[in-house]
Amino acid sequence: MTTLGRIRALTSGRSGRLVPLLLFVVLVGYPVVFPFAIYEQGVLLLAFLLALMAVSWNIVSGFAGYVSLGHSVFLGLGAYTGGLLAEHFQVNPLWFMPVGGLVAFVAATLVGMVVLRARGHAFVIITIALLLAMQVLVNNFSQVTHGSNGVNVPLPTWSSDYQNMPFYYMFLALLAATVGFAAWVRRTKFGTGLLAIREDEDKAAAIGVNTTRYKVLAYAASAVPIGVAGVVYAYFLSFLNPIGAFSLLTSVTIVLSALLGGRGTLWGPVLGGFVVTIVTEVANVYGGGTDSRLLVLGLALVLVVLFLPRGVLPAISARLARRRAAAQTVEYTDQAGVASARTPIVVSPRSAPAAQTPGRTAAPLLEIRGAARSFGGLRAVDGVDLTVEAGSITALIGPNGSGKTTLFNLVTGAMSLGSGEIWFDGTRIDQLPPWERAHLGLGRTFQITRLFKSMTVLENVVAPLPTAGWGLMAKDAVSGHEAERARELLDFVGLGRFGAQQAGSLSYGQQKLVELAQVLMLEPKMILLDEPAGGINPTLINRMVEIIRDLNRQGIAFLVVEHNIPLVLDLCDPVAVLSRGQVIAQGPPSIVRADPAVLEAYLGPEWLPADPVPGPVLKPADLSVKGG
Amino acid sequence: MTQLVQALVLGLLIGGVYALMASGLTLIFGVMNIINVAHGALLILVAFLTWKTWSVTGIDPILLAVVMTPLMFGVGWLLYKGVLSRISGSSPGMSVLLTFGIAITIEGILNVTAGNKFRSATPSYFSQSFRILGISLPKAQVYGCIAAVLVLGLLYVVLAKTWTGRAIRATAQNPSGAALIGIQASGVAALAFAIGTATTGVGGSVLSVLYPFFPASHYDWISRLLGIIVLGGMGSLAGALVGAIVLGLAETLTATYVSLQWSTLIFYAVIMIVLLFRPQGLFGSRLRQDVMA
Amino acid sequence: MARQHDSGNFARHARSVTPIRAIATGVAVLLAVGACGTAPSKTAAADNSKPLVVGISLPLTGDFSQPGGEARKGYEIWRDQVNADGGLLGRKIELKITDDASNQDTVVTDYTKLITQDKVDLLLGTFSTLLNFPASAVAEKNKMLYVEPAGGAPKMFDRGFTKLFFAQQATASHQPDVFVDYIKSLPESERPKTAAYPTQDDPFTTPVIESMQKQLEALGVKTVYTTTYPADATNFQTIASAIAAKKPDLIAQGAVFEDGVGLVRSLQQLNYTPKVLFQTSAPSNAGQYSDGIGKANTEGVFYTVSWNEKAKTPNNAEFVAEYAKRYNGGIPAEDAADAYAAAQVVQAAAKAVGKIDQDAMATWLHANKVETILGTLAWDQTGAPTSQFLLAQWQNGAPEVVAPKEAATVDKVVTKTPWQ
Repeated sequence: MTTLGRIRALTSGRSGRLVPLLLFVVLVGYPVVFPFAIYEQGVLLLAFLLALMAVSWNIVSGFAGYVSLGHSVFLGLGAYTGGLLAEHFQVNPLWFMPVGGLVAFVAATLVGMVVLRARGHAFVIITIALLLAMQVLVNNFSQVTHGSNGVNVPLPTWSSDYQNMPFYYMFLALLAATVGFAAWVRRTKFGTGLLAIREDEDKAAAIGVNTTRYKVLAYAASAVPIGVAGVVYAYFLSFLNPIGAFSLLTSVTIVLSALLGGRGTLWGPVLGGFVVTIVTEVANVYGGGTDSRLLVLGLALVLVVLFLPRGVLPAISARLARRRAAAQTVEYTDQAGVASARTPIVVSPRSAPAAQTPGRTAAPLLEIRGAARSFGGLRAVDGVDLTVEAGSITALIGPNGSGKTTLFNLVTGAMSLGSGEIWFDGTRIDQLPPWERAHLGLGRTFQITRLFKSMTVLENVVAPLPTAGWGLMAKDAVSGHEAERARELLDFVGLGRFGAQQAGSLSYGQQKLVELAQVLMLEPKMILLDEPAGGINPTLINRMVEIIRDLNRQGIAFLVVEHNIPLVLDLCDPVAVLSRGQVIAQGPPSIVRADPAVLEAYLGPEWLPADPVPGPVLKPADLSVKGG
Repeated sequence: MTQLVQALVLGLLIGGVYALMASGLTLIFGVMNIINVAHGALLILVAFLTWKTWSVTGIDPILLAVVMTPLMFGVGWLLYKGVLSRISGSSPGMSVLLTFGIAITIEGILNVTAGNKFRSATPSYFSQSFRILGISLPKAQVYGCIAAVLVLGLLYVVLAKTWTGRAIRATAQNPSGAALIGIQASGVAALAFAIGTATTGVGGSVLSVLYPFFPASHYDWISRLLGIIVLGGMGSLAGALVGAIVLGLAETLTATYVSLQWSTLIFYAVIMIVLLFRPQGLFGSRLRQDVMA
Repeated sequence: MARQHDSGNFARHARSVTPIRAIATGVAVLLAVGACGTAPSKTAAADNSKPLVVGISLPLTGDFSQPGGEARKGYEIWRDQVNADGGLLGRKIELKITDDASNQDTVVTDYTKLITQDKVDLLLGTFSTLLNFPASAVAEKNKMLYVEPAGGAPKMFDRGFTKLFFAQQATASHQPDVFVDYIKSLPESERPKTAAYPTQDDPFTTPVIESMQKQLEALGVKTVYTTTYPADATNFQTIASAIAAKKPDLIAQGAVFEDGVGLVRSLQQLNYTPKVLFQTSAPSNAGQYSDGIGKANTEGVFYTVSWNEKAKTPNNAEFVAEYAKRYNGGIPAEDAADAYAAAQVVQAAAKAVGKIDQDAMATWLHANKVETILGTLAWDQTGAPTSQFLLAQWQNGAPEVVAPKEAATVDKVVTKTPWQ
């Protein structure tokens, strides 16, 4: 317990920051104290380089979850840029460090724009193809690159007594800068968005995250430090050739370092980089030098993926946290959540349309004209016409499988429209990507909540982007205005004290409220609610209704899908009824309730009006539509 | 003219062999949604085993496919059960990392046991050719292509006519639907992986005769095969066949009329261009899932 | 609040002590290892009782493990022979050989460690141009004499190094001179009229073939085909058919090894035999080459080589005998002989200077000739050698030296026979 206590003492407060600082000071002082430990300096500087590359890799592959298998391509690009320019102008290559970073940035951006519009396996294939293709290209364009003859980089100009000491400091400085850069990225809304993409890319798009831009930018950002370091590396090596500079093995060690230390954490890749360099060097010196290096790297990669997929640091942290948790009493979060009070705030949509133009008969806020979408032979949405007036709480009801969730997906852009038009606040939106619809002020919640479960509640709420502005992406997400706003919204839904909790640990009902707070961060004009009352306890239902009314009074329109008919009739006006992909009735609750067509539609055995349990068990039809 | 016909014939012969190798890779992707980067390394492993057996016993290397194929079926089954099944359901990134790790491990094993040398099996017919109208058909290439086409045909029959094959195809097309009619996804995945790996048994034995290889050759092969299945459409067997022939021809023609130096780039270029303009490839639809735009 | 620490949030990691500790421990271990040393420019005073340590990093594993392993054999035979004769400058020779796994980073670390940590007295070079480039730069930075057994790419000697010497007869661009001289010696009517020049994209073969093409064009040999193929090319059918279509008299291929065998096999499949076939280094791998293309098909193939086991150079017979004794009667590979010769160069310099003085030894080598098992070697100011390679030809299933006259093992040149 004493050790644990000490660790806890260190992890809290300022002393925690002292430790990396101390380590940095030691590393800075080392060559001063032992100026002639040249070999150790040589090993350490390679460790700095590997750690730097792993930290950079982590930005795209750890934060955003897009694994790059060919990340050493940027080292090669930087090295060749520096080497060739230095040779051409006969000057010190270090002048070209910014150019190396720029070349890496441009290359990553171009490649990223090709493949990162996509999901899945395309990216990982491209990264490895890019690396191997660069080997061939650099070999073949021998007029420029000298091909397989390689490039002679000028030798360092300083006295040989200094040996690699200047390189040691350069790589150390670059490593420190890269860690600082990664830490900054992680703190910004951009970083939060990257994590959101890793957790749930569709959901990220729905809360205004321009996923393509984020991914391309993350890839480019992860290339720049390596490109800069590549120039120094060229100077250090003094000779470049295509195979050595664009080495696949280097990529493997980068990936292994980051995975081993802890993908997605800040310090994990640093730790991994040191461990991998030092272990390889020790194995090389004391292992007698065998052909087994590849074998060991390969096996290590397999074992880490299988048994330590999150890496050393998260594993240790999780264990520490468990022991800590065992030592304390666990607070029952659900009860606490219910008990805690809401703080009323002004949410105010960006331009509350109804409030601003009271005199005019405004055009409907949302207008769906003849929307259709089919999956194979099934016409899930079959020519829907629906309008939502500004300032209204419109309900969308209908039997299971009538196309409600599909319609939501069409409106928010999670699915593409087959035919028809969708207009929102005077803009045709059916061809826009989801994030642009969100930027127009359209927010949604999901039938089964889709929070980013491994992020904190606060991070979840701070992630959304109400506008496409680049400046907003760079805003601090941990403190400052954005975080303040997110805390306010959490207070507003009554979950202020759970900000630091992991979102996945909240109760289902609390998650629904967090998701609502998340949508509010978009400063929406309209919110689509998919079964807000589904699966949550009556106390929370009441709170939900209270919040919806509160927001509506401030000018936010709602389109609500809900099975709890009494709730619908109490809350909403008008009510639209969807059946077999078409709107069969729309009007005030009293009229709709009496409509014979509605009654007929609801006569099916599936309809269980009073049952608040959410969909999946009861709604196989709806599920299969989504799967298609 | 002769040169053109010669190039086309060589391209077709190579394409047949590529088709066999690529069909295993695409089958695994179709069923399991995993890109088996270790496919190339398994090919080289088989090529080495074939070469070793040939050099010790003198048995014809292409005939050795009869032994290698069931052997690799077993290896595939064990790999799935022992390693790949452990990560089913994790992100594409992790599965690629895993198969990449396996590939490097195999390369490392070959480095340690066999050494980093070029090898190639050279049966007596190696430097002979059939000659038709001034066109040379190298015997090794012809036999290799015949073996490949036979196995490819067998594979299609198995997938089309047997219950197992239909289960595999059903799972590839619609996993949840297949589960509904009682197909056990994990069993099918193991089978598909084993069959996909078994194709390296034939592919590798043919490779040992047609191409000199060394442990690191697998990068070269996996890039070619990825180019082929990306072009054909990931997961599509017909696509693999067409992709293989198209790229076999493209490679030979580039090498003949431009330079061998640029022919390797064809595969990378194809990957880039296909992903940019037609991400689903010629026949497939699964690789690139666009966020709606 | 208990579960707060379970989250993957950033703040926790920034403050967590655990990772920092782990890194700190790793670094501390490393720092503790190397806590002593002296300035590199101050060399320790010679102590005759101590052995003379020669530091070498070799690619014992990885891509270049084959030449690396052979070089090791050459160095070791040299060490044992010198020690049996009483050592160098009265001191026993000790080799300190490390493995660089054919990796450029590692070769830099290795030589840095040998020079600065192990404080070796002398260095010897590694194998392959790619590794000698960065390794020689480390030696130059540390003002150490660096005699390399391989690495004859012309660019090696553009760097103005003063301590670098290449222990073969000529750089790559002068390697074909001996073959061109042979062609020149033929009567006009017997010279090849047309030539094809395929070459691997390799820093050691390309300059040879480019230089040969230039010289032969000057002699009036028409170039009908040139191509460069990548190092990992394995399918030579397209190149062979393109060459066959042009029907050149001479095929001069810049072949490392497998590509030399591969092209010949493809030419066999197409049944095209050139009148003259020259390949750079592939045919020098005696047994493997004749196995690869068939013994009967080797007849008449030309190549250049730095060394021959039958050469009457000083120590050569002893070297060949010792190699055979150690390795089951094997014939040394050229790489082993080159390494042995590099060691002989360093030995000669040390003997002439009379002490281990890197500057003086380099100055001496720039001014003097050294007798080695490769023949007499001499260098210009850049460290590039200024002699000529040997021209060899396969005759009756065995390699023979046909030029220059003084090194020739046979006195006639045979003509290429058609493929069997």
